[in-house]
Amino acid sequence: MTEEKILLDHGSGGKVSHSMFSDIILPLFENPELSKQDDGATLDIDGAKLAFSTDSYVVDPIFFPGGNIGDLAVNGTINDISMCGAIPKFISVGLIIEEGLSIKDLKSILETMATAAKKAGVKIVTGDTKVVPRGKADKIFINTSGIGVIPDNVEVSGHNAKPGDKIIVSGTIADHGITVLSSREGLKFDSDIKTDSAPLNHMVQSIVQSDCDVHVLRDPTRGGLGTTLNEIAVQSQVGIKIDEQSLPIRGAVQGTCELLGFDPLYIANEGKLIAFVKPEDAQKALEIIQQDEFGKDAVIIGEVIDETPGKVFLQTAIGGSRIVDMLTGEQLPRIC
Amino acid sequence: MALKYIEEYRDATLARDLIKKIHGVSKRKLRLMEVCGTHTMSIFKHGIRSVIPEGITLLSGPGCPVCVTAQKDIDAFVEFARVKNVIVTTFGDLMKVPGSSSTLAKEKASGADVRIVYSVFDAINIAKDNIDKEVVFCAVGFETTIPTIAASILMGIEAKIDNFSIYSANKLTPPALAALMVTKGVEIDGFILPGHVSVITGTNAYRDTFEKYDVPSVISGFEPIDILKAILLLIEQNEIGKPALENAYPRAVSDQGNVKAQQIMNQVFEVCNAFWRGIGEIPLSGMGLKKEYQVFDAAIKFGMDMPEVPEPKGCACGEILMGLKTPEQCALYKKKCTPMTPVGPCMVSTEGSCAAFYRYS
Ligand code: SF4
Repeated sequence: MTEEKILLDHGSGGKVSHSMFSDIILPLFENPELSKQDDGATLDIDGAKLAFSTDSYVVDPIFFPGGNIGDLAVNGTINDISMCGAIPKFISVGLIIEEGLSIKDLKSILETMATAAKKAGVKIVTGDTKVVPRGKADKIFINTSGIGVIPDNVEVSGHNAKPGDKIIVSGTIADHGITVLSSREGLKFDSDIKTDSAPLNHMVQSIVQSDCDVHVLRDPTRGGLGTTLNEIAVQSQVGIKIDEQSLPIRGAVQGTCELLGFDPLYIANEGKLIAFVKPEDAQKALEIIQQDEFGKDAVIIGEVIDETPGKVFLQTAIGGSRIVDMLTGEQLPRIC
Repeated sequence: MALKYIEEYRDATLARDLIKKIHGVSKRKLRLMEVCGTHTMSIFKHGIRSVIPEGITLLSGPGCPVCVTAQKDIDAFVEFARVKNVIVTTFGDLMKVPGSSSTLAKEKASGADVRIVYSVFDAINIAKDNIDKEVVFCAVGFETTIPTIAASILMGIEAKIDNFSIYSANKLTPPALAALMVTKGVEIDGFILPGHVSVITGTNAYRDTFEKYDVPSVISGFEPIDILKAILLLIEQNEIGKPALENAYPRAVSDQGNVKAQQIMNQVFEVCNAFWRGIGEIPLSGMGLKKEYQVFDAAIKFGMDMPEVPEPKGCACGEILMGLKTPEQCALYKKKCTPMTPVGPCMVSTEGSCAAFYRYS
């Protein structure tokens, strides 16, 4: 009974995942690219700057309002590459299918993948399929990897946040996690919430190619906005202050969170980014993001401060202040 | 619609007014206890500690159901998970609470069938869908959840479900408050009484305790405005020297409470003695199944009787629940005990005092 085992917490994207990465994974693979711990690796191959990233999707249920595991998997990797400032170009797809999945479901998943890739302007160029006996997987798991090209003069990283930077979030938070949770069996709420899964590559290119000085880009997926801000605070060794009243949260999402005792700050997003921008350029960057189809509700939620390195503070609506810690364990398993 | 309602109780201007008033009336140092874990959470989440006078200390009380669950009950939950053909159903918060040798989460990783449910009715449905298995529900809760558990049992009878049972570690709030008042060393200048529990029990349930110990008591909702209001009332009562039992949550709580819920609860359950973590046995503070419903008693069905065991060494959960210590005064806090490696339940439960301190301060 004393033998240590993997718990669901290890997959949460929060503290437990981080310690698994730094205690077990990183020491074995140690190299400068991996050690940076950004959303994707940035590579220099004979002078060509590339971004490379991979992600696996095990969401349950596989179909949910606004999307399914297929577009989630394509958009997820597109976004991870985009957060390196890169233009995503090529994607690979690995399918692990449970015996018994209906061909109709598979087709409809693959169709959404094709549509998502087309919309983002990336090509699915290689892939693999495996089928496992019933019960050895749950319907379908998808892995996607992708490569993108980082334009000259673009350099964004979680390490680059500077005191004074304004923090922009590109729209409402917690939509995806709450959508999946709500559509999961046994928890059927009457609401019109849907996933925010979307490709952010065009939005990213319009900001990084503008003359705005963008220091950090991240998509707050697993672990939510709270965890992502903590990661950046640690990577850049800065403090972060955000304002509760400015956080964009849909009414129905907030309501569901209240009902179930979840904090929207820790709920996954699949089509949102946060950008850390030099204060003078913040307004302009905000407007650029708002012009994008997926950035209409973008707002400035806070700033980087010169004290308390590694810590994130929230100014509450009633004028109080509190810490926003990284998510510790699993709040919601199999959300992406 | 629902959100507008909440926002009203988070209004910044209203809050500012209350905070100003609180600073105006507060003269003496006071120790106020928020009995309920949901209050603890809300206080931290909204940064209430950072806006009230320094002399006002807020203590977390024995109102987080997971935190007050005795070690032997946690051991029983783990033991059920080890029984062949048993599906253990539980609220998520219990998963990681360390029993003497394991946790439900670890048992699950080792192959046990442990499922998180959001309501006891989910557990009933699991029983319906798995007639070849036994479903055990870990019942930890106060007056808020006990009526629902009672209703599930009545439902089980009606639907002729015989593969469902509960292990009751349910508890009642007022006896715990009375027990606190006679515990040596406990100093409390006022209680912020739990809103959810009071919706069921009504204000009257606290009257005996209040009259006996004459301690300022205010029933409060969970929004920041509610809590600030309760703090203000408690300070005022203390400053003018007139303790009272006040209901500052009249939009939800009446004098009698929810009589129907009380009836269902009393139909299925009866008051019994119960073990509280750190506090020990408190007479008539638990709710056990009545004789005629004992076919639903998992302890009887499986002959489960775990021995009483000492709580984890060094863990001060019990003293924290009584307001005798703060988490920072526990030698293990943030060292050996973190949310990733919790030693006691107060670090596991989202409503636990140690978890709240760790996460928010
Ligand atoms: S910090 Fe941990 S060990 Fe100490 S009282 Fe809290 S739960 Fe128990």
